[in-house]
Amino acid sequence: MSVTLTVNGSLLTLEAPPASRLLDVLRERLGLTGTKEGCGEGECGACTILLDGVPVNSCLVALGQCAGREVTTVEGLGDAQHLTPLQEAMVTEGGAQCGICTPGMLLSAEALLREKPAPTDGEIREAIAGNVCRCTGYQRIVNAITEGARRREVRP
Amino acid sequence: MSVAGLPLHPFFTPRDLPETLDLLAGRAARGEKTVLLAGGTDWFVERHVAPPETAGTLPLVVDVSRLDGLGGISLDGHTLDGDEPGGDTLHADTLRIGGAVTYLELRRDARVAARCPLLAAMARDVGALQIQARGTLAGNLASGSPAADGVSALAALDATLLLRSVRGARRVPLAGFYTGYRKSVLAPDELIEAVEIALPPAGAPYVWRKVGTRQAQAISKVALAGVAVVEDGRCTRLGLGMASVAPTVAFLPATRALGLSRPLAGIAPGEIEATVLADVSPIDDIRSTAAYRRHVAVALVTGFCEELKRR
Repeated sequence: MSVTLTVNGSLLTLEAPPASRLLDVLRERLGLTGTKEGCGEGECGACTILLDGVPVNSCLVALGQCAGREVTTVEGLGDAQHLTPLQEAMVTEGGAQCGICTPGMLLSAEALLREKPAPTDGEIREAIAGNVCRCTGYQRIVNAITEGARRREVRP
Repeated sequence: MSVAGLPLHPFFTPRDLPETLDLLAGRAARGEKTVLLAGGTDWFVERHVAPPETAGTLPLVVDVSRLDGLGGISLDGHTLDGDEPGGDTLHADTLRIGGAVTYLELRRDARVAARCPLLAAMARDVGALQIQARGTLAGNLASGSPAADGVSALAALDATLLLRSVRGARRVPLAGFYTGYRKSVLAPDELIEAVEIALPPAGAPYVWRKVGTRQAQAISKVALAGVAVVEDGRCTRLGLGMASVAPTVAFLPATRALGLSRPLAGIAPGEIEATVLADVSPIDDIRSTAAYRRHVAVALVTGFCEELKRR
């Protein structure tokens, strides 16, 4: 069975079982390993992607439910040579420690900043409440998102 | 692609509600199992922890997450003319929420925020944004967990469920929906099309308190949903729903009866404690203990009653 969806701007038709987890398809079929598996139960947010612009846990979404929809993974933000202002801020503010939560944090933050370009600390904390940092470096992540928001104003 | 044989599940996306109902009827008649998949926030987790199933017995997974017939939020009522007092405002009594409406849609709906703030508060607390964006009321109801936040809020609001099959539609009060732990009157050929709520007046006092290990994502140790109408120091409507204190979400019937029986000022804390303890039957489990749950259940209801006395 085939499923047609858009991943990071590219329209793809995949021959894959539609009941597969989107997470597995992204990682194993498309090689998009930026999306991490943490708990596999929707608790930790490491597998957060944007589905039509909204953060969801890709471990809880069936590939077949994504037909005709737009999926954005961390690979769809920027790359090593062309970081987005938010990614840049995550690096310079020390928001990334061991790194496993970083892709999910970036996507939750990206969705927030698209809706609220200048979020408060409280809004940032609520937006990333579903993303667990096992290093517990939350303050630096919040700082990075604040700084990312500031830099986006200058260079969206 | 390893989780509990997920890729092996047959999967189908129906065009519309009639096609879904036909499919359900045919499969139910043949004794075949069907999973109606909306947000997947329970189903995928169960697959993750359950032992792998064999291909021969795998149910058909039917994606209902975007089915038109299960979407939409509406207020049934009438709009006053601009000349009348309060003109151009909608006077409505019944809130109807499609079964596959997500918590995120609920919390962002201005009508829900204004007329049913209890539901909006629950939707904001039920899980983090990623869960809010996927989870649905019908999914919460069909899973039948006694810890269900959404069901607790609907219990307090004395919601009615609109169930539909090819045989027709029927309305079932939530209080009559569950028959035991994760068991309900929902027939194999039926689905939960919508939830209907007879709204209390705007501004009616309510409570939503979720007690868990952290703000986001935690499954409730105990949660209390409550809504009341207080006139001259007396409750004329009192709805309570409590999570994680019984085999199903608890309606606290003795406590409701006490609260409605006489002026609030005449109800002693000891009476509230006694009725709450009679209404709950918590257990020790991975999230909490029966003793702690009893303590919290009494504290939450007492706190809400104190607030009502001050109105």
